[in-house]
Parts: sequence; C-alpha cells; structure tokens
Amino acid sequence: MRPLTLQRVVLRCAILAAILFFVVVVALKMGAVQVSLYGLARDLLSVLFGHTQAISSDYGMIVMDIRLPRILLGLVVGASLAVAGTSFQALLRNPLADPYVLGISSGAAVGSILALIIESSLSFSPEVAGLITPLGAFLGAAITIAAVYFLGRREGQIDSGTLLLGGIITASFLSAVIMFLLSSLAGGNLRGATYWLMGDLSTPQPKSLLYLLGVGFVIAFGAIYTTASDLNLLLAGEKEAMHLGVDVRRVRVVVYLAASVLTGLAVSVSGAIGYVGLLVPHVMRLIFGSDHRMLLPAAALGGAIGIVVADTLARTITSPTDLPVGAVTALVGAPVFIYLLRRRLA
Amino acid sequence: MLNGKNPQKQRGTIITIAFLVLCATDLRAQTVSPAAPMVPATRMVIDEAGRSVRVPVPATRIISLAPSLTETIYALNLQDHLVGDTDFCNYPPDAQKKPKVGGGINPNLEEIVALHPDLVLVTNSFNRLDTVRALDSLGIPSYDVDPHTVDEIIISTEKLADVLGAAEAGKSLAGSLQNRLEVLKTKLESVPPTRVLFVVWTEPLMSVGKGTFVADALRKAGANSIVDSSKDWPQMNLEEVVHLQPDFLIFPETHSDAGAHDFDALALKPGWRLLDAVHNRKYAVVSDAVIRPAPRIVSVIEDLAHQLHPAAFQENLAGERDKVLQNHPNKTHTQMATAKDAAKTEAQCVR
Repeated sequence: MRPLTLQRVVLRCAILAAILFFVVVVALKMGAVQVSLYGLARDLLSVLFGHTQAISSDYGMIVMDIRLPRILLGLVVGASLAVAGTSFQALLRNPLADPYVLGISSGAAVGSILALIIESSLSFSPEVAGLITPLGAFLGAAITIAAVYFLGRREGQIDSGTLLLGGIITASFLSAVIMFLLSSLAGGNLRGATYWLMGDLSTPQPKSLLYLLGVGFVIAFGAIYTTASDLNLLLAGEKEAMHLGVDVRRVRVVVYLAASVLTGLAVSVSGAIGYVGLLVPHVMRLIFGSDHRMLLPAAALGGAIGIVVADTLARTITSPTDLPVGAVTALVGAPVFIYLLRRRLA
Repeated sequence: MLNGKNPQKQRGTIITIAFLVLCATDLRAQTVSPAAPMVPATRMVIDEAGRSVRVPVPATRIISLAPSLTETIYALNLQDHLVGDTDFCNYPPDAQKKPKVGGGINPNLEEIVALHPDLVLVTNSFNRLDTVRALDSLGIPSYDVDPHTVDEIIISTEKLADVLGAAEAGKSLAGSLQNRLEVLKTKLESVPPTRVLFVVWTEPLMSVGKGTFVADALRKAGANSIVDSSKDWPQMNLEEVVHLQPDFLIFPETHSDAGAHDFDALALKPGWRLLDAVHNRKYAVVSDAVIRPAPRIVSVIEDLAHQLHPAAFQENLAGERDKVLQNHPNKTHTQMATAKDAAKTEAQCVR
C-alpha cells in the first residue's frame, strides 16, 4: 500500500466532495414540488451573487427557504454522526460502537426533552429558547457517555465488551425514561416528539442554531482530527499505544468530549438517527483503509452524502407526506450492515 | 473501490451521469406558476394562541391543516377559497378532492408554499408548534384556533368566520348551533346524567380527559365520563374501569372496534366481560365527528342524547298528555313510567 500523503488525502476528499455536491444538487431538485434545473441554477447563482431580490418564483422560496436549509442541516448531522461513530469505534476498538448503540443518542434525547420541558415552563426570548435544546442534548450526551464509560471500566481499564453492554443497557433504560416523560407530560411542545425521536430533519431550525451547528462541528472535528495519528496507534491496544508514547488519557478525554458535542448537536436538531454512525465508518474503512487521517474526513463527507440521500428518499417516497429520515436509514442501513458483516466474515 | 481506478476518468463518468440524470428528471418538471404580484388589504387579528396575525381581507387562498378546520370552512360555505387540506380531511366528501399537503403533524412545507396560500389555519390539538414557526419564517400567516369546550367551538367558529370575512355566515351558524343546544338542554334538564366510558381505542384502552371538548360534548348530551384525568387522551387501566362500572360505553364510528362482530368479541375479552355495560350490551355508537372540534359536534351531541335518553324526547308527548290529564295525576305518572320503561328497553337494544 502506498504511503498516505497529504496530496492523496486532499484528492480523495475532493472526489468525495464532488459526489456530495452532485448529491446535493439532485436533492435540491427532487421534492414534492417539481423544480426545473434552469430555475434552480438561476436562483442558486443569484443567491451566490447576493441578488436575493431577484428571486421571484416559487423556486426561490421552496428551494432556498425549505430545501436548502434542510439539506445543509442533513449534511452537518450526517457528518457529525459519522465522525462520532468513527471516533468511538477507534477509541473502543470495537466495530459496533456508535452513538446510537452506546446510548449517547438516547441520553441526548432525554436531555433535549428535559430542556423542552424547562423551556416551556420558563419564558425565554425565542433566540435563547432555541439554544436551550442543543445545550440540554449536549449535557445529556456528556453525562451518558460518562456513565457508560464508568460502567465499562474494569480494574482501571476499559473493557470494550462490558462497555458495549453498558451502552446497550443504558440505551434501553433511557428509552424507558423517554417513554415516561412523553406519557406523563402533556405540553404543547412535546407534540410530535415521538416523530422527532425517530430521527427527523423536516422541522426547519432557526438560523442561529444552524450557525451553532456548523461552528460546533468544525471545532469538534478539528479536536478529534488532532488525535488522528494517536487513534491509529490506539488500534493496536491501549497499553501498546501508551508504550509508543501516546497520551491515552488526553486522547480519551478529547475524543469523548468532542464526540459528545457532535452527538448532542446532531440529536438536538434531528432526533436519534441510527446506522449513520455505525455504517458510514465501515464503508469508508473498506474503501480507504483504517488510517484515521484519511478516515475521519472521509467519514464526515460520507456521512453527509448518506444522510442527504436518505433524506431525499424520505422526502420523495411517500410524497407529499414526509417520512422520518431515521426510518429510511434503518431500513437501508440494517441490511447493508448485515451484508458488510457477512462479507467480512467470508 | 475508488483508489483502484483513475480518479480523472472516474470524475468524468460521474459528471456525465450527473448531467444525464438531471436532464432526464428535468423533462418531467412542471413549471410552477409565479406568485400573483398584488398587494391585498390586510388587518391584524389576535388568534387563539394569543399571537397577532396579519390576515388578508378577504382571505381567498386558505390552507387548512386540520380536518375540523376543513369542516368549519365548508360549514361557513367558504370552500371555494380552500386551496389545500390534509390527508385526514375526509368530510364533507368534497374535501377529499382538495389538493393535499400531507398530515397535520408533518405537513409538506413545499406543497404549502406551492399552493400560494394567503392564510394557513392551524389548531393546537392537531399541529406542531414547529410547523407554525416554519410558516412564520416563510412569511406565510397562520391563524390558530384552540377550543376546549363545545361553547368554545361555537365561539371559535364565529371568530374564524369573521377573520375569513364571512362574519354574517358565522353569526347565523353560531346562533343556530346555540339554539339547538338550548333546546337539548331544556329537554335533558330533569334527566340524571348517564355514567359513560368514551372508548377511543380498546387496545390500548384510551379515553378522553375531563378537560377536553369531547368530555364537554358528553356532558351536553346528558352523560358524564367516568374518566377523571387531566390528560387529553389518557390511557386507562381496565381494572379501574371495571371498578367504576360505567352505565354505557360510547364508541366513535370508525375510530374503534365498533362493528357488531367486534362487540361480540369484546364480550369475550377478559376484563371487558366483567363490565355490566358489556354484559347488557349498553353501547352507543356515534359519528367520528365527536372527536373533531367543528360545528358537526352539535349533531353528534343530539344523536348521543337520543341514544342515551330516548325517554327525554318522548316526554314531549307525555308532557302534552300531562296537560290534558292534569286532573288525573296518578294516571299521568303511570303513563310516563311506561314511556320510560319502553325507552329503557329501547336503549338497551341500541346495537
């Protein structure tokens, strides 16, 4: 295998980015309302050049105000989940680790719901209120990962089998908490929460939240990327990595915190979307190998592609009624995962 | 695998495919008519969520996001201005022909925008706050209704009529609905309310809470729900129901297992067969309109009152005889008792 150079990383990422761009253009075109390619190009260009006034047609409103924000939201959510999944899989040296399996998504969901309850009982200005949910989700994710981490420790060392079991138990416990919260509280804001829990991108988010999401992703991704070489060495085992000079404790803290931020942000805007964090890293590893300097950006782009495709399907299969995107990812993700698993065993 | 091939060639192929796919889909694209460039008159109104909404005068392109709102629009004879409704809007049958924008929880915003509404009607019980926020950010005005009692349904209908520029139609509709309820009230005045269980679903057993307009409709029909829950759609414990022993079970028509053979099955189910009401087949089946906060609720109330208290409606005859036989109170009493007995038997035979 040829050594991984920066040039090759950039080239491969460029290919993935080109695919992503193509997928986004198709996604912009597809939808309940037909939009012509000409109108799409014209409006995209006028937005690029800042002539937002020039958009007079429906396309402008539908594409720019509904489809594009939803696609951008999907991009960041998909990238976040895939990167979080990749980091957990490396850190725990377990191919089944992902935010969903470890219960972190459920923890973030509990945090979100509690934040919604608090938000409805106190009166905040809309801008502040919009930020409470992601904060609750982040706290939920961080507390859950701390609890799961504690459950997974045995004699000072992380035992990945115990950790996964701890995650699964925590997830089912938290699901029960969610059921309890949803059935015992009847606030107006909780309507449709069950829908949201399935993983849903159809709810437009305030602009401030989109910015927060973007900035949060960049920071968390950057933090994880600084540990990419260490994660490569960690694949050999925690002790071995320590002998090779890796500050395992620091890597662990950085990756856990950053991955919690990614999961919390993703869940707070889109609910718990499964399989992206599990499947995308696998596919990317099959294609690009398991060097994290390549794998992390590839997973980010791959997760974005995956979610945009899944959400486009969710928007169009049962049009005009929307499906939750989580239903699509599970429907497509589970069989593909089984196929990959069998192929690896064979 | 990508790294096995020439990336240059790969990219060329991708771009070609992309172009072909886009061209192919483009052929099917329908042009969407541009928005009509006119500035209609507007005015500010306060909706039932307390928001100030700028509504067009008159609203001519209305989208309803709830079956109850669709029904109300038809009841006000404004259906020509209704340009879209939800998948669940099935009454009157004509409403099914209107362009659909998806469900109430997850309406398709693209479809809504494409229909160029000048006003979208929403209701707390059927729609999400997120949808309203999304409409706000798209600059589409939305008006919210939120009635919790039968009287509020009538008031809210009248208000909505005014907002939609049909104040006269609203007044006369509200007036006639109120009259019908008054007539019913006087008829049921002396009748003790029946203790009932309203069955939304049998599995799981779901009923209605005391704060809902459905519970209020039951009260207006001379029935008291045995359910004392502050939730809107509480899931009930069958043990509790057996303990409380309702006199009557009330089913909405298509929403639950209300068919005759389902009643046979119900009588065999553990728990349910312990209910006297099941044992004696004291069932009342009412139109689905009972769970829709729309003007039709008054017809449902009348229907239910007839099913539960047929005697009260025969008492008119008895009452007239009363006048004739004023001098023979004993006889009158006997006759009334006979009428009541007959009614009782009849009530037991309902379904």
